[in-house]
Amino acid sequence: MAVSVDEAVSTGPVRDHTPSARRFGGRGRFVLEVALLTVLAVVMLFPVLWMIETSIKENRDVYAIPAKFFDFKVTMDHFKDVFVASGGGRSTLSVSFLNSVVVAGVSTALATVLGVPAAWAYSRFAVKAKKDQLFFILSTRFMPPVVVVIPIFLMYRQVGLIDTQLGLILIYTAFNVPFTIWMMKGFVDEVPAEYEDAAMLDGYTRLQAFWRFTLPLLLPGIAATAVFALIFSWNEFVFATFLTSSDNVRTAPPAIAGLIGGTTVDWGLVAAASVVFALPVLVFAYLVRKHLVAGVTLGAVRR
Amino acid sequence: MRYPKRIGRLSVPGRKVQLATAAMLVATTVAACGGQDDGAKASAPKAPATIPELTKDPLTLSFIWFDWPPAHALEAFANAEYKKERPNATIKVNTVPNANWHDAIFTQFAAHKTDFDIPILDSQHIGEAVTNGNILDITDFVKTNIDVKAYNPYLLAAYGQFPQAETGKRDENASLYGLPLLGDTWTMIYRKDLIGDKPPQTWDQMISVAEKCQTDHPGVSGLAFHQANGSDAAAVTYNTVNGVYGGNLWDSKTRKIDGVLNDTAGQEAMDVLVNKMKPLTAKGSGNWFIDEVNAAVAQGKACIAFNWIAASGGLLDPKQSTLGTTREQILDKLGFATLPSQKTNLVPLGGMGMHVSAYSSKTNQAEALNFMKWFERADIQKKWAAAGGVPSRKDALESPEFLNAGPFNQVYTDSVPRMRDMWNVPEYARLVDIENTNVNAALNGAKKPKDALDDIAKEQQGVLDSGSRKGGGGL
Amino acid sequence: MSDPAPLTTDHPGQAASATPPAPGRSRRLSDRGLAVAFISPALLLLLAMSVFPLLWALYLSFTDYSATRGGPAHFIWFENYTAILTSAQVHLRALTTLIYVFGAVTLQTVLGFAIAYLISRRTHGRGLLTTLFLVPMMLSPVVVGLFWRFMLDAQFGVINSMLGSLGLGQVEWLTRQRTALISLIVVDTWQWTPFIMLIALAGLTAVPKYLYEAASIDRASEWFRFRTITLPLVWPLLLIAVLFRAIEAFRLFDLVYILTSGGPGVSTETLSFHVYKVAFLGFNTGTASAYGILMVLIVIVLTQLYLRYLNKLKED
Repeated sequence: MAVSVDEAVSTGPVRDHTPSARRFGGRGRFVLEVALLTVLAVVMLFPVLWMIETSIKENRDVYAIPAKFFDFKVTMDHFKDVFVASGGGRSTLSVSFLNSVVVAGVSTALATVLGVPAAWAYSRFAVKAKKDQLFFILSTRFMPPVVVVIPIFLMYRQVGLIDTQLGLILIYTAFNVPFTIWMMKGFVDEVPAEYEDAAMLDGYTRLQAFWRFTLPLLLPGIAATAVFALIFSWNEFVFATFLTSSDNVRTAPPAIAGLIGGTTVDWGLVAAASVVFALPVLVFAYLVRKHLVAGVTLGAVRR
Repeated sequence: MRYPKRIGRLSVPGRKVQLATAAMLVATTVAACGGQDDGAKASAPKAPATIPELTKDPLTLSFIWFDWPPAHALEAFANAEYKKERPNATIKVNTVPNANWHDAIFTQFAAHKTDFDIPILDSQHIGEAVTNGNILDITDFVKTNIDVKAYNPYLLAAYGQFPQAETGKRDENASLYGLPLLGDTWTMIYRKDLIGDKPPQTWDQMISVAEKCQTDHPGVSGLAFHQANGSDAAAVTYNTVNGVYGGNLWDSKTRKIDGVLNDTAGQEAMDVLVNKMKPLTAKGSGNWFIDEVNAAVAQGKACIAFNWIAASGGLLDPKQSTLGTTREQILDKLGFATLPSQKTNLVPLGGMGMHVSAYSSKTNQAEALNFMKWFERADIQKKWAAAGGVPSRKDALESPEFLNAGPFNQVYTDSVPRMRDMWNVPEYARLVDIENTNVNAALNGAKKPKDALDDIAKEQQGVLDSGSRKGGGGL
Repeated sequence: MSDPAPLTTDHPGQAASATPPAPGRSRRLSDRGLAVAFISPALLLLLAMSVFPLLWALYLSFTDYSATRGGPAHFIWFENYTAILTSAQVHLRALTTLIYVFGAVTLQTVLGFAIAYLISRRTHGRGLLTTLFLVPMMLSPVVVGLFWRFMLDAQFGVINSMLGSLGLGQVEWLTRQRTALISLIVVDTWQWTPFIMLIALAGLTAVPKYLYEAASIDRASEWFRFRTITLPLVWPLLLIAVLFRAIEAFRLFDLVYILTSGGPGVSTETLSFHVYKVAFLGFNTGTASAYGILMVLIVIVLTQLYLRYLNKLKED
């Protein structure tokens, strides 16, 4: 039973066009099921649509009661406010987006550089207590962030990493490495070791064999893995909020959270910032849709 | 089979590495923990009495505050005006979310490295910062550089003195750790078009006016005030009613809360708040703080509201309001008044002082002191008032620059002699959390008012008394 | 070494494969060196960033250390632990957390499985449907928390506005003891139902069709087929998903912080929110560390369970 996410997510029809179960279900049941599915889809998607709608409403319509679903004036001001400060120049929100790009990008690159070779080694070599090591690695990823942040904070203040991008990058890398190893090991397992053995018979060293023959085959997997690591770092809030405090270090999630709790809440701006923030993630998630199951379970479940 | 062999060989160095790493870890742990005892200072380090020579190199003077309009006003004002005196200085006001304000400052203090030179602390945070040695003792500096007579003595005490002067009097011999930056108090915001031009004078009267207004105008609730369990929202609300009904937060001399806070006056205040005021608020307003109260007023959903003056500017912005399309139209409907009185006329002290981080460089500390001296000058205080700030000097408070700058500024000037603050003890953050969560619970029906008040008194007393307790602090 | 076959490729069969073994001594050495060189950087990072901090926390948990007050840390051994384990405040948070985790995970499992089942019975538009359903899961908890807070606002929120149009009264979603916890569960369910759905769908589409064919010949009832064929085959995978969600829900902090900040009162304060308050309001670092270590122990137990089932699944 090695199928499926591809199939579940791909747009193609199911292989078996006449599931036998259907024979017993009447027309009424079909309608009922479709209706139920539609209702559920609407419920699940409504908040997202409402967020998009709010982001293009004028503030007076945002608070309107009863809520305005269709007849409101469309404005792009909130999106402008996300990027441009009220007095002109770059807004602090846009700076935080930039910080997010740097922190998420670098930590993902680091996690890939550290994780991919390790995954390959775990896949190819017989390492002592491999299972234990792999389980240990995965379990570090399950630590509650609020708990980890206490000693990390103490450690960082000793070495001066509080309120630095490097500090965030390191902790995100540490949370992404276990994921990268687990996810990548699955991809490496799928590449037959025989390729490398054959290359070595031709006179290549093991390292060369890995570099020239295996790695190119792994590239799609690496891309998928990196995208998931990127999504994690991009969305992370707890470390970002406790380990940073200045505008030029703060990443987007705490910056967006900081939009409420002033003197007035500009929900239009919150919505626009959220849309801008979520967009890259959704695009990326769509690109790696074939690997979603593995991706969301830290690479532990793959099928 | 070759595999087991290979494993065997690999395992030996592997184990060695593990052992070595473990040993290293233990060693580093011990070293690191042994090395962090440097913070055991008894009190705050002293600032020099006179301002040291200032640098001629470009310099950035950083503040930290929470994100709200006065923070942006300060940055713009200081860059425009202070630069005239010190062209090489740039002012940067870092802002953090309000909910994160205390944590952001004190985690940096804990790190003994701050990215700010001038932390803007709530008056109640002084105790924690002083006890931990995080901010400079500026007593001598103030003596030689600041004209203390120009101030209402209580304001000077509230934003700088530790131990604190709870009401009214400044202790001339106590040390000072800060100077006023932005004064603030609650204003009563009332709808002139709904309840008339004349604001209610007593608390009881205010409640009955609100009740009548709510009945007469369906869809508009009688009252709107802070009830949230974050920051100091619900706590300030209870403290205000407590003060007005003649209660006390504690007996600072004997450090007694249990039996003082929950005495008859305290119980009456809780009863008024939960059983008389809360029913007049909008449904679901139990998590409201500054911005939600502002939104309710701007949307025309409240007859009478209470909010911090410094946070009320947005109410006059026609873009955010349904009350009118111009500032004047809005002001036809909105009135601002000092709080009604009942048994006493106390009002809550808000606002913040500026302090000097003990972990800033000497150059920046000197610049910070220079900035403070400059900021407290009579002419600058008036300019700050005109720029939207709330000054603390008596002359500035009475100046037309201030009184004409906003419709609520007269309210502030009138309120100054009536102010009362909370405790500024080092345990403040925990005390206020206990009060916030319990008042919030009482307001939202999660606790009986009397139980909530007794719980506050008991738990706060526990915190104050826990100095000698060994384990489990903070639970 | 006893790796289950599917977990790795270096099972004995490989040794006997067509590739000539003949590893020279130098090559074996380089293999070993390569393994160490490739694995140790990652492990070192984890040791430095995960294990070392935890050891440090473990040490602090036996002391009365405070991160801000300075001064040396005094050993008080298990006093932090006894204080935490006997504290009524902590018991209250543990109960809240339990209700939240149980409620949220149950709800999203039922819903997620239902949606997956419905989708698996469709022949057209499955890809599109699945993709749409997955959107909430990809959003940051910050965005989810903020936005639901806006929608659940009793006065201005769209949910109450819609209820109002239906002639129903306003509901205080975030400010009543019961509804606040329910809201928290609902929001978490909204975000994570897609997760269960995704994994259940993977399981459902993997059920071999011939099993159904056989059953339909036997004229077995639909429910019987579901119970005897579908569920047993999907269950192991579903269990993994459920455990995974339980761990995640137990760790949850952001959503509480933004949606209710623990209110009203402390009725939605979970353990991870409480430990934050202990650590950053009073800076009782020793106590907070002990609290954290206890939470880590629970996570480790849950993780062990999770990994055991995961392993079982992979061995099948």
